[in-house]
Amino acid sequence: MTNQNLILSAVFIPLCLAFALPFIGKLRQNARNVFALLLALAAFACSTALLPAVLKGDIINVFKALQLGFNFSFIADPLAVFMAIVSSFISAVIILYSFGYISHYKNQNEYYLMVVLFLGAMMGLVFSANLIFLYIFWEITAITSWRLIGFFREKQHVLRADKAFMVTVFGALLMLVGFIRLGQEMGSYDLFVIKDAISIHPVSNVTIALILAGIFSKSATLPFQTWLPDAGVAPSPVTALLHAAVLVKIGVYVFARIFVATIPLTQFWHAAVPMAAGISALVAAGAALVETDLKRIIAYSTISQIGFIFLGLSMGSELGFAGGLLYILMHGLAKAGLFLCAGIVEQNTRTKDITKLGGLITAMPVTAISFLFCAFSVMGIPPFGGFFAKYMVIAATLGGRHFIIAAIFIIGAFLTILYLFRAFNMVFLGQVKTSAPGEKEPVMVFSVALLAVLSLAGGIFIRYPNEIAQLSCAGLPGIFK
Amino acid sequence: MLSLFVSIPFLSLIVFNIPGKHSTRLALFWSAFLFIAQSALALLFSTGIINPVARQLSRIFIFKLSLDPLSLLLLLSIGVAAFAALLAGNNLFREKSQKSNFINLLMVAVIGMNATVLAADLFSVYIFMEIVAVSSFVLISIQKDRLALEGAFKYMVMSSIATCLMLVSIALIILVCGDTDFGVVASGLCAQSGNPIVKLAIGLFLCGLFIKSGLVPFHGWLPDAYSAAPSAVSVLLAGIITKVTGVYVLMRLVISVFGINPAIQNLLMLAGAVSIAFGALAALTQHDFKRMLAYSSISQVGYIILGLGCATPLAIAGAAFHFFNHTIFKTLLFINAAAVEKQAGSIHMDNLGGLSEKMPVTGATSVIALLSTAGIPPLAGFWSKLIIIMALWSAGNFAYAYIAVIFSVVTLAYFLSMQRRVFFGKLALSLESVKEAGAGITIPAALLAGITVAAGVGFFWVLDKLILPIQEILR
Repeated sequence: MTNQNLILSAVFIPLCLAFALPFIGKLRQNARNVFALLLALAAFACSTALLPAVLKGDIINVFKALQLGFNFSFIADPLAVFMAIVSSFISAVIILYSFGYISHYKNQNEYYLMVVLFLGAMMGLVFSANLIFLYIFWEITAITSWRLIGFFREKQHVLRADKAFMVTVFGALLMLVGFIRLGQEMGSYDLFVIKDAISIHPVSNVTIALILAGIFSKSATLPFQTWLPDAGVAPSPVTALLHAAVLVKIGVYVFARIFVATIPLTQFWHAAVPMAAGISALVAAGAALVETDLKRIIAYSTISQIGFIFLGLSMGSELGFAGGLLYILMHGLAKAGLFLCAGIVEQNTRTKDITKLGGLITAMPVTAISFLFCAFSVMGIPPFGGFFAKYMVIAATLGGRHFIIAAIFIIGAFLTILYLFRAFNMVFLGQVKTSAPGEKEPVMVFSVALLAVLSLAGGIFIRYPNEIAQLSCAGLPGIFK
Repeated sequence: MLSLFVSIPFLSLIVFNIPGKHSTRLALFWSAFLFIAQSALALLFSTGIINPVARQLSRIFIFKLSLDPLSLLLLLSIGVAAFAALLAGNNLFREKSQKSNFINLLMVAVIGMNATVLAADLFSVYIFMEIVAVSSFVLISIQKDRLALEGAFKYMVMSSIATCLMLVSIALIILVCGDTDFGVVASGLCAQSGNPIVKLAIGLFLCGLFIKSGLVPFHGWLPDAYSAAPSAVSVLLAGIITKVTGVYVLMRLVISVFGINPAIQNLLMLAGAVSIAFGALAALTQHDFKRMLAYSSISQVGYIILGLGCATPLAIAGAAFHFFNHTIFKTLLFINAAAVEKQAGSIHMDNLGGLSEKMPVTGATSVIALLSTAGIPPLAGFWSKLIIIMALWSAGNFAYAYIAVIFSVVTLAYFLSMQRRVFFGKLALSLESVKEAGAGITIPAALLAGITVAAGVGFFWVLDKLILPIQEILR
């Protein structure tokens, strides 16, 4: 298969074949589950197969000119391939975990359809090099997360699903206006053309602010963060997929794609974005400290950690950018692991309230250890993967002489350690308060153990992901000082 | 050749009504075939502009048909909407005589609409609009219940006011220009644009058309008429009838007759923006499914008028595309409402809930329709709104562009609330025994949803074939 076809298959295999899942599900449930996993693995395989060419320094492009400047344009560079591999891999693990978790509930056909459709849209978004197509895939992810958050159909859940949909669509529409402005200012919606035109026309600040509003709403950064903890009512694999590993990274990725790889930000934004991210990181960390619902704690932690990623990406240095990318990987693995552990705890004890839990380590040893490993990675304890990412991001901030911002984030990192230990302590250690029947579903336990091991392995073998991250920087010549 | 679009339905109507024994079923199949054939013809033949020689009826009154890409898109919309309404009506009306009356009146309305779309002189347009209006009064009151008669009466009163205004305006135009042919009138009005009589004539005509299209502040009759009419009729009324007799005629006259000038542009954009805002905000507060859809209609028509008011070639094409999309998704939503009313026995949204589980086709198609209305990609409604917003932006109408964007969120809000109260969510206890509606409802619903998705995904084909040619009519 040519590299062009690999890109197209990575996107359109999950996107189109997802619609076959409900029909397969009508015939055989198991066949549907396996097929869903195969679709995710196909996306993963196609993205990984792009790696050799991309590592050689090729940039693969699929382009078809269409009317009104809505050109169909896909591009695979190290940044896109890195993101595609991370999201498709984590999605595949989450689908595997769903085999166990979701098997007790109604509407499974819709569930698998939406999850795979979401993955397809994510792949499309990652490879898009035209703003209009990027927006289309962006909104498909919003539609699917709306259905997934409302999965249990309780009144409260559907209301919160609507809230998440509304907030992200509102942001996305502002972003669309930003895209239209950008398109009119630059004369094209193609990122290549915009990149070339940038030296002649500077981009107005209003345009940047509009696009940032969309990005922040998707990535649940202050002031658009409120939908994310509320969306914790979704089934745990969904929260893992949407709110930890993949969906919130969309905003971060588009930030990297537009504001790092295409339009270098001006000095003002280099100060403003980290400041917004820092406030978001601190406020969310504070909320995580007082929250008693396990999934909400982890959700606030996501908001807080996203701040670190924005910090790295917006520093404008190679170290920060590479750190931000590694952060996406490490945080995706570890946070998905935390949410999935929370899912196991919730399903076995029927509560998410950490004040009613305790001492679960004896009943669920593997889950407890996996939770701890993933938590270590999020906290940034060496030699877990999260440490290297956090170190690089903070080092880049200090290197850029942003001492106040660095201080804010170091406080944020301390708070992370506090609230995660608090959660671990209250759920797994101490007195046994609820009877737990133990870890029932082996696929679920296997999935969290896999993520925990990878969080550790990601740190020990940091060389390999780091190489791709460095190449992504090298693929953006002239951007970094 | 063009007159076949009018004469074949007309002959069919005569044949349906030859005294003696006849079968409703045959009439149903023949009408369905005609509507499909009309849509297929409109899709297959992309044309430039056909302008046959006028047939002189008298010194002033001529009868002339012409076809351009805009009328072609309208013929397609009429064919699809009439087909969907036909199947739905056949399913929803129980008595045989009502079925047969419905088919006949639908045929009258289609004759009127086809002719309105093809006519190229003011007086013919007026006459055919009246034919459509009269058939819709009867359609609304077809079941002779109190509420429907009231709705029909309101519609008739408003419609006759509009008629008077337009008739006076035509008289004034004949006074000034001595003719009713679009081309002649256009140059006549242009030559005398300072004349106060011309201004009065244009103003009166626009007022009449605003009433007919249900634009704010002339929208009062519209929710009553839509919600009082029998479900199958409201499908037809909301989907296509008011759109052709109001919105299309407005587009046609502004583009081809009155000419585009800043005063008309500002008036249209203002009316469009106010309708968008008012319709969307009013829809937020509704409890009745059909009334909510009616207010949503006002809001969506506002987008079409906003695009028309912007008046660049791209904006007109976007407005026409939104017209087509609106026909498809609003017809679909009214069919969904009809299905809910028939199966669950209520359209009061607070009494419903979780119907997707029992009515999967209705639930899924309503999601597609609402996302398209709210302009969420990759559905067709997204592209038409995007084109309108882009056109507003490049013409420098930034404030209107922002209004168009912001009210997309409000559109999403009221539709999500509808979805939450009717389809999504837990099944209400009283609805345990509800079943999916019959094939007469689900087939058109699936078809229309399919068109929405196909026109969204295959947007570039649609754009090339149907939408971008519309820009030519401005040149």
